[in-house]
Amino acid sequence: VPALRGQNPAEIVAAMQAFRSGQRPSTVMGRIAKGFSDDEIRAIAAWVAEQH
Amino acid sequence: VIRATRRSFLRGAAAAVALLPKPSFAQAKARIVILGGGFAGATCARALRRADPRFEVTLVEPNPIFTACPFSNAVIAGLRNIEAQRFGYDVIRNEGVTVVPQQATGTDAQARRVMLRDGSALDYDRAVLAPGIAIRWDALPGYDEAAAAVMPHAWIAGEQTLLLHRQLEAMADGGTVVISAPANPFRCPPGPYERASLIAYYLKKAKPRSKLIILDAKDNFSKQRLFQNAWQQLYPELIEWVSLSNGGKVISVDAKTRALVTDFATYKADVANIIPPQWAAGVAQLAGVADGTGWCPIDPVTFESRLQPNIHVIGDAAIAGAMPKSAFAANAQAKVCAAAAAALLHGEAPSPPKLINTCYSRVAPDYAISIAGVYHPAGGQFADVEGAGGVSPIDAPADFRALEAAYAEAWFRTITAETFG
Repeated sequence: VPALRGQNPAEIVAAMQAFRSGQRPSTVMGRIAKGFSDDEIRAIAAWVAEQH
Repeated sequence: VIRATRRSFLRGAAAAVALLPKPSFAQAKARIVILGGGFAGATCARALRRADPRFEVTLVEPNPIFTACPFSNAVIAGLRNIEAQRFGYDVIRNEGVTVVPQQATGTDAQARRVMLRDGSALDYDRAVLAPGIAIRWDALPGYDEAAAAVMPHAWIAGEQTLLLHRQLEAMADGGTVVISAPANPFRCPPGPYERASLIAYYLKKAKPRSKLIILDAKDNFSKQRLFQNAWQQLYPELIEWVSLSNGGKVISVDAKTRALVTDFATYKADVANIIPPQWAAGVAQLAGVADGTGWCPIDPVTFESRLQPNIHVIGDAAIAGAMPKSAFAANAQAKVCAAAAAALLHGEAPSPPKLINTCYSRVAPDYAISIAGVYHPAGGQFADVEGAGGVSPIDAPADFRALEAAYAEAWFRTITAETFG
């Protein structure tokens, strides 16, 4: 499993959206991603990308 | 046109000023005292230091070592060493948090002061209470601290966990294990059923003629279909669940005969695990932040107590609406509380949060199930974000269950590293 920290925010956004739609299979991420809007997902991605 | 008189205008202005936080120059070295060094309190201490390195953060925790409850059911079942559950406060101390190894004996909300057992006191600008649960020794006739030495609760991890483990090891094949599960709310809603599953795993392997009975004060429980489905698959005939409607509520116990009494029957156990009614731990009651239920009502944006000013309550002790009492929830609440307290101390408005919870339960070492939720403040309480969350699929294949078991382990490593370093 690749580390989330420092990943490209656009890739994190794409992954979260794919989890949310079910396009990307998951155990728990799909259930969680459904609780967040596009704006919130972008904010999460920006924050995660900043972490080192 | 409504014209305010000078007097009423001044009165209004005075009220407005009184509502504003103190000016920030006074808060640059704000003192925050946190009571309780579990998943909620320890996380909050670290998050506050990160939010503003000028904050003077004090963590009051009498135990030098914390013993984690998540995964302690595996210790009971002989699948894990208790050392893997133990965490200290060195990293937190090195990050600049003052750790005070004392029991808090009360607070004075007006003076903003916490009193400690040794007679000393700590002054604060804001206090965070994260005391966890206490067993209600008044709630189940026959169940007192002496009875718990015979019929362990093992719901606060440590010696009680090891006691239950030793009793299971000492039990003869063909014995009967009885678990009493409480009514809601209580710490870790799926916990009694994970415990039953892992004990069944042990019995099936080591003492296959034995039986496990769960006496329940509820008609429904967390991840119920998934648990019952797994029990049928893995432990047929071994686990019997007696619901409230079928007479499952334990109304008294007798430690001398290891008996559990319901309205309809008396169950004689070889090993009895009494998970009794609980409430917010002692200091919450002493601080006046618990209401008539024994738990602590809070504002869902800031986690400030609804009963006492300048005190926040997080973790299992808080009434958090749809959020369960879990280590994951405690950790999430602690971070939100730290951000809100920092905002208030800086004279800023805290923003409404969104929180996540995920609880894994293992029914066998390579078989786990999960429940997840996303929560937001609504109507003065935490509510589920609609359309999000839910449980693992009922018809998932074995590799899905194994993946969730691996994720459960990863979750434990992550959350304990985040909480204790």
